[in-house]
Amino acid sequence: MTTAKNVTAASPARRELSMPPRWTLLLRRREILVTAVIVIVVAASTAAHPYFWASGNLAFIFADSVVITFLALGESFVMIGRGIDLSVGAIMGLSAIVVGFRIQNDGLPLLPAVLLGAAVGIVLGLGNALLVGVVRLPPIIATLGTLSVYSGLEFVVTNGNQVDTIPSSITNLGSDTVLPGIPVILLLTLPFVLVSAWVLRYTTFGRSVYAVGDDAEAAYRAGIAVQRVLFLTYVISGLFAGLGGVAFLIYTSGASSTTGINDNLTAIAAAIIGGTALTGGVGGALGALVGSVFLTVTLTALSFVHVSDVWQPAGVGVLVLLAVLYDSRSRAGGTRRRAKRQRQGGPR
Amino acid sequence: MADHAGRAEPAVRREPGLRSVVGADYETRGVTKAFGDVTVLRDVTVHFYRGEIHSLIGENGAGKSTLVKVLAGMLPADQGELVLDGQRLPALTPRDAQRHGIYLVPQEPRLMPDLSVAENLYLGALPTWRLGTVSWRRMIDTTEELITSVGLRADPRLPAGRLSLAQQQLLECARALSHGCGTIFFDEPTSPLTARDAERLFELMWQMRDQGLTLGFISHRLDEIEAVSDRITVLRDGDVVARAERGTWTRENLVTAMIGRKLTITRRAERTAGPGAVMVDVEDLVSPPEVNGMSLRIRAGEIVGLAGLVGSGRTEFAETMFGIRHPASGTVTVNGRNITGASPRKCIDAGLIYLAEDRGRNGIFADVDIARNATSAIVGRLPKVAGSFVRPWKEQELAQLAALEMDVRASSIAAAMKTLSGGNQQKALLARWMLAKPRVAIFDEPTRGVDIGAKESIYSIIESLVASGLAALVISSELEELVRMCDRVYSVYEGRVTGELAGDAVTLEALGQLAVGA
Amino acid sequence: MTTLALPRRWRVPAWGACLVLAIIAELVYFTLTTRQFAGHGTGMLDLTEQFAPTGVLALGLAMVILTGNIDLSCGANASLAAVIAGTVLAKGGGPGLAIVAAIAVSTLFGLFNGIIVAFVGIDSLLVTLATQFIVTSIATSVAGASPPFGFSSAFQLIGQGSVNDVPIALLIFLVIALAVIVTTGYTGLGRSLTLIGYSPRAALYSGIAIRGSLTAVFTLCGALSGLAGVLLAAYYNSAQPDIGTDLLLPAITVVILGGMDIFGGRGRIGEVVLAVFLLGFLSQGMLIEGDSSLSITMITGLVLIGALVIKFAFERNLRQRLNARMRRFRTLSRDPHGPEGHGS
Repeated sequence: MTTAKNVTAASPARRELSMPPRWTLLLRRREILVTAVIVIVVAASTAAHPYFWASGNLAFIFADSVVITFLALGESFVMIGRGIDLSVGAIMGLSAIVVGFRIQNDGLPLLPAVLLGAAVGIVLGLGNALLVGVVRLPPIIATLGTLSVYSGLEFVVTNGNQVDTIPSSITNLGSDTVLPGIPVILLLTLPFVLVSAWVLRYTTFGRSVYAVGDDAEAAYRAGIAVQRVLFLTYVISGLFAGLGGVAFLIYTSGASSTTGINDNLTAIAAAIIGGTALTGGVGGALGALVGSVFLTVTLTALSFVHVSDVWQPAGVGVLVLLAVLYDSRSRAGGTRRRAKRQRQGGPR
Repeated sequence: MADHAGRAEPAVRREPGLRSVVGADYETRGVTKAFGDVTVLRDVTVHFYRGEIHSLIGENGAGKSTLVKVLAGMLPADQGELVLDGQRLPALTPRDAQRHGIYLVPQEPRLMPDLSVAENLYLGALPTWRLGTVSWRRMIDTTEELITSVGLRADPRLPAGRLSLAQQQLLECARALSHGCGTIFFDEPTSPLTARDAERLFELMWQMRDQGLTLGFISHRLDEIEAVSDRITVLRDGDVVARAERGTWTRENLVTAMIGRKLTITRRAERTAGPGAVMVDVEDLVSPPEVNGMSLRIRAGEIVGLAGLVGSGRTEFAETMFGIRHPASGTVTVNGRNITGASPRKCIDAGLIYLAEDRGRNGIFADVDIARNATSAIVGRLPKVAGSFVRPWKEQELAQLAALEMDVRASSIAAAMKTLSGGNQQKALLARWMLAKPRVAIFDEPTRGVDIGAKESIYSIIESLVASGLAALVISSELEELVRMCDRVYSVYEGRVTGELAGDAVTLEALGQLAVGA
Repeated sequence: MTTLALPRRWRVPAWGACLVLAIIAELVYFTLTTRQFAGHGTGMLDLTEQFAPTGVLALGLAMVILTGNIDLSCGANASLAAVIAGTVLAKGGGPGLAIVAAIAVSTLFGLFNGIIVAFVGIDSLLVTLATQFIVTSIATSVAGASPPFGFSSAFQLIGQGSVNDVPIALLIFLVIALAVIVTTGYTGLGRSLTLIGYSPRAALYSGIAIRGSLTAVFTLCGALSGLAGVLLAAYYNSAQPDIGTDLLLPAITVVILGGMDIFGGRGRIGEVVLAVFLLGFLSQGMLIEGDSSLSITMITGLVLIGALVIKFAFERNLRQRLNARMRRFRTLSRDPHGPEGHGS
């Protein structure tokens, strides 16, 4: 039985464990670090290609990140609770298809479209929630199963057609900018990010997600309704994926049977880079935003230095590896993560 | 006011904080509890009074831990009742118990490492503000107050994983108080603590007692029990065999009650052959922070003991020898080979084996059958065909023979390890290690969680192995065990060897003194 | 007098029996409802060519899952191998060289996965997630604008040829299956893998070479992914860079369907092989019936979920029966300890 004891000291000062002043803590926060790296990347890219800094380009980059932000936001909720959702991309795709057809064929206006997207996402998220929260399947398998089912559904629903006409009243949201460089659509994501951050920090539900992710059994014994919390995280993940589908429509003005299929892992990558770990108990909404912006900025910068689009996935892969390596190094000395991980392994 | 399950809510509104918490008059009446066909508690009646520290003592397996778990709602009793302040309690869950002011500080405090101290304190009951939002300000302030009142000095925003074990225990005490619990049970809190940390805990307990709380305390260490308790109840094999109030007991009476016979430690017969060549030579092994320069020597045919309180670094020392931990400096030589820092595999190949302290986590493969558990250390040396392909039937026979030799009792070696009792699991592990044909064996708490019959069995196994030339190192917190088996005993305190006793000098008194660093 | 009997020589695995019954049921169903299914008696065998690559992939993945890890990059690895084989063939190399090059590269990536997981200590889910991305990019890049196709008939034989009406691809799959069964069940490495899956800590304390075993298993998975890629290229006679990526989902499904525990330890490779046939014939039968390949993906997902729900219910029942047996087989001597083992 190993203990990290404050052994020899007799002086009380040694025994006291204090936190460094708040501002240093803030600096060390993951979100700030990643933002700093974003700034560096932007600066470097602009130095190499002045156009990088042009307002049109920046707006494009931010708009590009919106869909992944939504997916990563939902994924963060799930991952903080020590789960994983491999079906977010498919949910987004299905939502884009369903809403897209309604807009295209029936002229659905924006606000009902958003609500419809949310509804689709919630319903699909319920599938995951039932499998993990009620039937208690391991999340990897449950969401892998729903991924297959939802991907197949995408083909079934499109039935050979695709969404290609979205009225400009809607798509303009993707290209219009409020301030130079800040697209409207980014502003639309901010409320969701902020509300999520608030929920995670200031509601009992939000704190329960962290508790469940850190030690589900202890949370249960403390009276937290673990299965209910897990259930809700998957519904939330579905909800955000559904909203992401609407964002996708706004941004790309189209959807097809293959929409979103490859975005699952990018969403997870964004969440991880933003500070959420697969082992649960840490992370947050701001991290999802920052992580996805970081991914988009870096990948765009790569294409600016004439790295072919072929290498974008590799870029994501390398960034994830770097983020994880950084995590394992910085956490090695600190908390009892290793003990926790040994107890249960990953989110399987 | 009753909740939907019909359970009565306690009428008293409880306020957190040491000053406002009140203990209750809590008793068990005729509680019986069995696991399968093994009765762990038999018609147990114990009364915990306000303003008292009431200790439960007894040997391993006497039922102490089970009793406090029943008291705290962790386990249901099969028969009997729990009476709180004169009122009979219906079936309890841990939450119900907490609402009634009953709290159990577990043997190993289990906190959320990534959540702050404050959140751990208020887990499941976060203080809220308007609209049910979490009030961090209030949480942190009250946390500050509470943890200071129990003597824990740490920033409430710190992730709880950074606290030491002793601090985590204090946090558990603070948790109890934060829930407004005045009836608190401690399940062997001092086992992993240093003497200094234990002192701090006792000071807190005395404070609580003076405030009128009801405290239950389990420990193995009689000197602690004697120093701390106002009342003692002795359990043996599930029965209450003795009760005593302060001033009415003697050490001897307690021990007699605990083991049911006059304490005669029969030391094993002096060995006819003298010990052989030096098998193990450890020089100045350092592995911070627990191992701070330990040296020892063991000869073939010798049993050497390591005495000391849990937490003195003995297990860490063994793990450093065996390659689980990395040595910062020092050397380990086994049978002439330098194996300092070598992996467990290399140690085993060099002839050194280690029977781990934490059997459940580091020893057994719970869901795997006995046979494969037995052969797990010799996976590379199994009987093979064409040099690579295991002959499973031969493997089974090998395992069966080894298990029979070690007196493992089970219906078949295909039974899963988790279906065995503690004693049989331990014997199966011995079978595993003996299949590895070691020259040196480290036994870390070999009889922990093992019933009396199996204990004797294990002692005789170890002794016969040593008689055939094994060099054995026994780490144990049971001084009687060391006195019985060992030719020599080193005492260890905070990672250093503080003394050595040999031959007839190995007595309970001498060991006891050395172990606490006196 | 203690008993400690040796186990009965061979017991019928329950889940395996279920799988066999399911396979028979579906074969009967398809033969009766779909004319082309049985063909001229050998039609069914030809169908196995289609899912032999998935089977080989699943075998590699199963070994990794046995240790409690996962390899999300095996599909991409197969794609890369296919692309490399195709490129070598297109540049004029012989089939032998193509196969060797393809498998060598995929083995290297497997080794990379293994080293990062075993020595750096990062969770395999994350590592193989990242590797999957990286390998996908490399495959796309190597394939270039026009991925190679139209290979020599010698090469195509591997994926499409038969010996006495038995497809070569099927033979390859069965040989590999046998090899994997023998490796996991009858070698020191296999023992180590299973024990690591059950309890990495206990394995550490038992002196099992954890890092070496993990590296080996990921490397083997890489090699098998390469073989799967070669089979794919031979069968489809082309090397699209995503040819293997679609196989990841079916491969995982097959492994889980075959009764392996995603947390490691439990599972028989033999049952995974049965699951390969179960799922393989299911998809093929549906294809012949005229269902689109995408509703097949859906059905695969449903089968996965359905099978697991059944299995969980199955196991809960089994656990109750096991508890009853535990009480009967308790030790003869008096033992005040419950199933927990510890006690005071």
